Amino acid sequence: MPQTPHDHGADPCIDHGGEHPSVLDLPFVPLALKREWLEAETRRHFLARGSKALAWAGLATLLGRSAPHLLADTSALPDRRPHFAPKAKRAIYLFMAGAPSQFETWDYKPKLSGMFAQNLPESVRGGQVLTGMTAGQVGLPIAPSFCGFSQQGQSRQWVSDLLPWTGKVVDDLCVIKSLYTEAINHEPAILTITTGNMFPGKPSLGSWLAYGLGAINEELPTFVVMTSKMPVKSNVQALSNRLWSSGFLSPEYSAVALRSGSEPVLYLKDPDGLDRDVRKQMIAGVNELNHQLFERVGDPEINTRISQYEMAFRMQASVPELSDFSDEPASTWDLYGPRAREPGTYAYNCLMARRLAERGVRFTQIFLRTWDNHTNLPKGIKAMTEDCDQPTYGLITDLKRRGMLDDTLVVWGGEFGRTVYSQGELTHENYGRDHHPRCFSMWMCGAGTRPGMSYGETDDFSYNIVKDPVHVRDLHATILHQFGFDHNKLTFKFQGLDQRLTGVLPARVIKEVLV
Amino acid sequence: MRPAFLLLLASAVPCLGETATFPGLVAPIFEHNCVKCHGPTKQKAGLRLDSHAAVLVGSKDGVVIKAGDPEGSELFRRISLSPSDDDFMPSGDRPPLTPAEMTALRSWISAGAPDSATFDVIPLEQAAAPQPTAAPDYGPRLAQATALARSLGVTLAPRSRIPTDGLVLRTASDPARCDDAALARLAPVGDLIVEAELARTRVTDKGMQSVGGWVNLERLDVTRTVVTSDGVTFLAPLGRLDSLNLTQTKVDDRGIALAKRMPSLRHLWAFEGP
Repeated sequence: MPQTPHDHGADPCIDHGGEHPSVLDLPFVPLALKREWLEAETRRHFLARGSKALAWAGLATLLGRSAPHLLADTSALPDRRPHFAPKAKRAIYLFMAGAPSQFETWDYKPKLSGMFAQNLPESVRGGQVLTGMTAGQVGLPIAPSFCGFSQQGQSRQWVSDLLPWTGKVVDDLCVIKSLYTEAINHEPAILTITTGNMFPGKPSLGSWLAYGLGAINEELPTFVVMTSKMPVKSNVQALSNRLWSSGFLSPEYSAVALRSGSEPVLYLKDPDGLDRDVRKQMIAGVNELNHQLFERVGDPEINTRISQYEMAFRMQASVPELSDFSDEPASTWDLYGPRAREPGTYAYNCLMARRLAERGVRFTQIFLRTWDNHTNLPKGIKAMTEDCDQPTYGLITDLKRRGMLDDTLVVWGGEFGRTVYSQGELTHENYGRDHHPRCFSMWMCGAGTRPGMSYGETDDFSYNIVKDPVHVRDLHATILHQFGFDHNKLTFKFQGLDQRLTGVLPARVIKEVLV
Repeated sequence: MRPAFLLLLASAVPCLGETATFPGLVAPIFEHNCVKCHGPTKQKAGLRLDSHAAVLVGSKDGVVIKAGDPEGSELFRRISLSPSDDDFMPSGDRPPLTPAEMTALRSWISAGAPDSATFDVIPLEQAAAPQPTAAPDYGPRLAQATALARSLGVTLAPRSRIPTDGLVLRTASDPARCDDAALARLAPVGDLIVEAELARTRVTDKGMQSVGGWVNLERLDVTRTVVTSDGVTFLAPLGRLDSLNLTQTKVDDRGIALAKRMPSLRHLWAFEGP
């Protein structure tokens, strides 16, 4: 029973033995609020006692895998079962940060070639507010794509000449040309696509999946992020861990970010002369101290810290094998290209993503930056596509031949599209494109997505969507659906709301793109 | 709560082929499954199902019962959908209507959705056929299965919350612990296993003999094991096997040919064979 807050007086404080005055003794705090605090305090202690078992169970697991642990017996864990049988066991999300132009990749607009340098009709723009980067321009001259397109595969989908490798697997892809978002600048748009909301603090897609599904492999993180070495060094988008943070979910669902250097995890190796048993005892000791602290203060973050120590210890054993590519057959290097041998490149990360998927990592997100071609787009996008085309093809082909594409969802795309009009000077050889949230192209592949299809249409200027619009939250709902979740029901109570990835506005599973 | 619920059901659903009335048969079905959200306390979508008149009035979007036409009735359409569908009813985690309940509702609508007049409960071929299930209900044996798996250093995880979707055998946390002996010991729950992820484990052909007894297995992955064509012969009894992954195994052309003869198999991978 919560104690009744007392009015401030000369009596010793009954709630904490009278050793110090507390906030409960402040005369200006309303009685109702004090009562609420006390109730919260009681609840917290209750929770603390309840989840104590959790910490011990984890520790027991660490100290000996055979020790009986209590993890499965606690009701504090979320229900790890999807709502219905999933098609996807894991996903690899190839995130093209900076926003690739749809005109030079997937959204073929042949009519533009006859409109070179004409001003974008006002009727198309429809009064849309432009960014500060082009709002001051004298005109909005139409920039046709500098590169050609051809129909590829049995599905006869239009593919850019800049993507000759990806073109070979176009029959496996489901290209969506009608994505849209509200955000017109990178950070809010990237947050929207990674977390479903342009304000920081929401859990990333991978965190929701980790929370909802749990791990396949306890020895590796459930959600892994890799940033790639940048093909060019201009227009670099800042990346930060809020893009792969667990937000209000427990921090254990945040991604573990692998570094793009030669060592994916720093300080992973024990120092020379340090026995693994000694390390194990040391971590057990630290966790014991942490546990004592948890008993005293009841902060659930301490439990997270304990589990992070355990994960780090396990990764000491699992990561060296993971990052040792010597067991790859020769065909791997033909597939992903020679750069796959260089740690931290996009090609290396694609291969690593396959190895993570093989070992049961649920969600791997690869970030490839510098698609933000405001100026010198032809040169910039050529560098980008040269970097990502073959490895992307390699990843899909590799997953397919190993029988993994059936239950691995691959997603490729950026955070928004780009404008049909040139930012800055327009010539036949050179131009730039500004941000454009009203439409952009992405593709999905594998895990029950419909292969060899194109969904959604934009107008002749790829400015407005004319058929089958897909909001980012629809994409999220569709991805969750492939993992067996009704996006309306994968929720977490926070700030008085049943929070969910797709937010409060209606979202639709795009059934048309599913088998 | 639960015994009372079962008792009521037992009294509410008569044997097929009998006659019934709305108050006697249909109203109790609505009462158990629907009225919590479509009744006196809540009227989701403006729909109430707690009286004959209210049922016929329908929701804010229109009528939900077209007398004489079950397929054209929104209510019947919704309860007939796959539970994963956005429109499926009952919503939330509430269980789908039973085949007997579906038959009762279909018969009532077909008969013109009468109020107090009797109608015949007609079993339709389709209505009587149970939903195809992947495996027996894991509910009663889930604790046994998970405890057994844990003792063997593997995991048996429900594929979904639908208890007939079966269990997935996982070994990725510690593949080296999964060997033929472990597979043999899973026999008591073998019929619940619909997917077996055995990649990189120590299982051999002998283990495939155990796997061959898991009658409801749909997907089997033995990537990077020493399984040979002899092992594939043991899989012949698996009448539901849809996907077989033999990547980086010792299975040669003979085993591939054997696998191809399995009538249910639709996906076969044998990348990097011997």
